[in-house]
Amino acid sequence: MAATQTEGGAAGRAASLFEASRPLSPSIHLVAAGTSRLVLVPNGSQVFEVDEDTFGQLDSARLTHDGRAIELFLQNLGVDEPQLVDDSAPLDPPLRALSLAVAQRCNLGCTYCYAQQGSFGDVPKSMPLATALKAVDLLFAETNPGERVNLAFLGGEPLINRGVIRAATEHSQRRADESRTTVTFSITTNGTLVKEEDSDFFEQHGFAVTISLDGGQAEHDKLRPFAGGRGSYQHILGRIAPLLARQHRMQVSARVTVTPVNLDLAGTLDEFIKLGFHSVGFSPMLSSPTGKGELDHRHLALMLDQMVSCGEKFIDKFIAGERYPFTNMVNAMREIHRGTHRPYPCGAGAGYMGVSATGDLSACHRFVGDDSGEMGNIEEGIDRDRQRSWLTDRHVHRQEPCRSCWARYLCGGGCHHEVINRGRPACDYIRGWLHFCLGAYARLSAERPDYFGSTSTTPQTFVP
Amino acid sequence: MKIEAKNLTAQLLHRARGNPPSTLANSAISNCFPGLEFDFRNIWRRLFVGIELHEADNIVVAVDPRSPYKSLLHHRLLKVADQPTIVPVVGPLDGGTGRAVRLTSPPDNPDGVWTLEWSNAMAAIVHKYAGRKTRVRCEFTARKAMNAVGLKTDTKRKVVYLRVRSIFAKNSGGATIPVIDSEAVLPGELTQSLCSPWQNDYRECLCYYWASSRPDYVNVELDDDGVSTGNNWLSLKREPKEYFLNAGSPALITYAGLFREWQSRLRFIIGGRDAD
Repeated sequence: MAATQTEGGAAGRAASLFEASRPLSPSIHLVAAGTSRLVLVPNGSQVFEVDEDTFGQLDSARLTHDGRAIELFLQNLGVDEPQLVDDSAPLDPPLRALSLAVAQRCNLGCTYCYAQQGSFGDVPKSMPLATALKAVDLLFAETNPGERVNLAFLGGEPLINRGVIRAATEHSQRRADESRTTVTFSITTNGTLVKEEDSDFFEQHGFAVTISLDGGQAEHDKLRPFAGGRGSYQHILGRIAPLLARQHRMQVSARVTVTPVNLDLAGTLDEFIKLGFHSVGFSPMLSSPTGKGELDHRHLALMLDQMVSCGEKFIDKFIAGERYPFTNMVNAMREIHRGTHRPYPCGAGAGYMGVSATGDLSACHRFVGDDSGEMGNIEEGIDRDRQRSWLTDRHVHRQEPCRSCWARYLCGGGCHHEVINRGRPACDYIRGWLHFCLGAYARLSAERPDYFGSTSTTPQTFVP
Repeated sequence: MKIEAKNLTAQLLHRARGNPPSTLANSAISNCFPGLEFDFRNIWRRLFVGIELHEADNIVVAVDPRSPYKSLLHHRLLKVADQPTIVPVVGPLDGGTGRAVRLTSPPDNPDGVWTLEWSNAMAAIVHKYAGRKTRVRCEFTARKAMNAVGLKTDTKRKVVYLRVRSIFAKNSGGATIPVIDSEAVLPGELTQSLCSPWQNDYRECLCYYWASSRPDYVNVELDDDGVSTGNNWLSLKREPKEYFLNAGSPALITYAGLFREWQSRLRFIIGGRDAD
C-alpha cells in the first residue's frame, strides 16, 4: 500500500490513537482497552489496572492539568515511589558493545541510506585488520569474568571485508575465553554477498544476523537496488537461503526500513515470516541525508495503522498459542512487562560505540564520520570529556518536549541521530504505538499470563 | 477504589494500603539482615580461602588445619587491599557536652571501633579478586585478639596474601550462575544464625523494624484532626490505647512471657485489628 492509497479507515484508526495518546500529564497516562482501565505511571514505567471510577477521576485531573490532584490521588492509591530517574548522567559507563564499520562502501544504492552508500560522505574505505583487532582489545580492556560484551559488524556492506570480520570474530572469541567473559556477535548486511560458507561461520559463532529487506520484490527493488540500478530482491533471497535453513545457534532476522513507498507492513510481515526469518522488525525512515524516503505525519499515520494491524494479528496468534515473530511487538511486550524506564533511547555513546574504518570512535554506527558524535579513537580510548557532555546533553530530562511527555522513559527521547538531524517528527506515532501496546499488554497478560511468568496478583479493593 | 499492579515494576513499587514504606522490597529489611528466612551474612564467612571469619565481626573464628594460615586463628582482619574493615565509632556522649567523641568501651572495645558489614566492605574486593588467581593483601593483628582492636599506627600487623572465593557457583560451561557456591557456605549455615523472632527479636526490635513480617501499630483509629491512637501489638492490655516505644516497658509482653507462651500471647491481626 503506497501513501497515495490513503484509506479513510486507516487514517481514522491512527487519528484515534494520536488523540488518545496525547501528552496531557507527565505523571500518568491512561489507556482504556476493552474492559481494561490502565494507568501508566512513567516513574518506573509502572502499569496498573484500576476501576472505572478511579480511571474517571484520574482522567478529570489529567484533562484539567491538575498535577497536584494527580499526585495526591496516586498517593492515596499507594503509588508514591520517589522519582527513580534523576537528572544525572551515568559517569564513565564501561564499554559493553562496539560496532565496526569494517567496510565504508556498499554495492547497493539505497535511496535513503544514512551512510550514503556506506562512505558516510567520504571516500569509500575498508577497515584494516590491525584496526579491527585493536578495537576488539579496547572492548575487552575493562571486562571482568562473567560479564558479557557484543561485537557488531556494520558498514557500508560489511561482507565486502569478510576477512576482517572473521579475524576479528576469532580474536574476540579468544579474548573472551581468556578473560572468562561471554561475547556475542551480530552483523547487519544487505545479504547480496552472503556465501554458503558464511552460514557455517555465523552458525559456529552464534551470530545474530540482520538482513535489510524493505518489503516485497517491487518495493524492495525500488528502495534497495544495486548501485547500477538493477533490482536486488531475488538475488538476496537466493543468497540468504542457506542462512535461513541453518538457524540453530545463529538467528536471522529481517529489518524493514519503512518509507512512503513500502507501507504494506502487514503483507511484508507475513511474507517474511513465511520465508523463515527468526523475527521481523520495522523502523520508520525519519532522517536521510537527502530527505529522500523520509516519512511525514501523514505517512506515519498509515504506518501506525499497519503496525496496529500487525499487532492485532500478533495478539490473536499469541492467544491461539502460535509463534508470530513480530519484533516490535515482542520487544514492546517485554519492555512494558519489565517496566523498563530509561533516560536514553539506547546505549549510544554510553556502553555502545561505533568504530570507523580509520579507528575513530563515535556515539554509534550512524555517527561514523559525524563530528557531533565523536567519542575519541581506539588508540587513545574513549574521550571521557566528550562522553560526559554527550550523556549530560542527551538525557531525556534535557530534551523538549520530552520532559513533560508520559512516554519519556519508554521512548528515551528518540534516536539521537534522527533527532539531531531532523528533530522529532514521530512523537505522535511513538505515543500512538505505545498506547496500543499498553492495551495489548493488558489483554495478553490477562489471557496468556504464562507468557509473562507468574505475574498475576490479587486485586486489592479499598476505600481511601 | 480498586488497583491492581500489572507489570513487574508496579508489583515491586506499589505500596498496598495500610502497609508502611518498609513493606516494599527496596526498603524492607527482613529479607537480608539477619532475616527470617536466611541470614545472608553467612556467605562472607569463607570469603578468604583457608580461614573462616565471624559473619559480623573481623575475628578469625576457624582455620583450615591444612592451610598455611592456621596460625591466624583468633587474629583480627584489619585491612584488605589497604581498605580498613573497621571504622571508628564516634558520637556525643550521654550527659556530655554534645560534642562528638570517640566512643570507647573498655575492656571489650578500648579503641572504639566497629566492624563494617562484609557486604559493604568486601563488595569491591569481590568485584576485583573473587574467583581469580591473584591474591589480595590482608593485614591481621600480629597477635590473637578476642576483643576489638583499632587501627593505631603502632599496632603490629601480620601481612598475608589470600585468595578470594567466588560467592556464586559456575555451571559446567564456566559461566557464573545465580547459585551460592557450595564451598562458600556449608549446608545449614545460611539459617544457622537466624534471629528468634517469636521468642526474642519481636520484642527487641520495635518501631516498625519488623513491619513487613509482623504487625506493629494495631487497632488504629483516627480522630477528626487526623491524630491516631492505637496499640503496640505486644501490649498486654488494649485499653487504654497507647503506643509504647520502650522495649523495656512493663506494659508489653515480657521476654519470659514470649519464651513460654508466645502462641497464646501474640494475637493475629487482620485488616490492622485484633482478629479475636
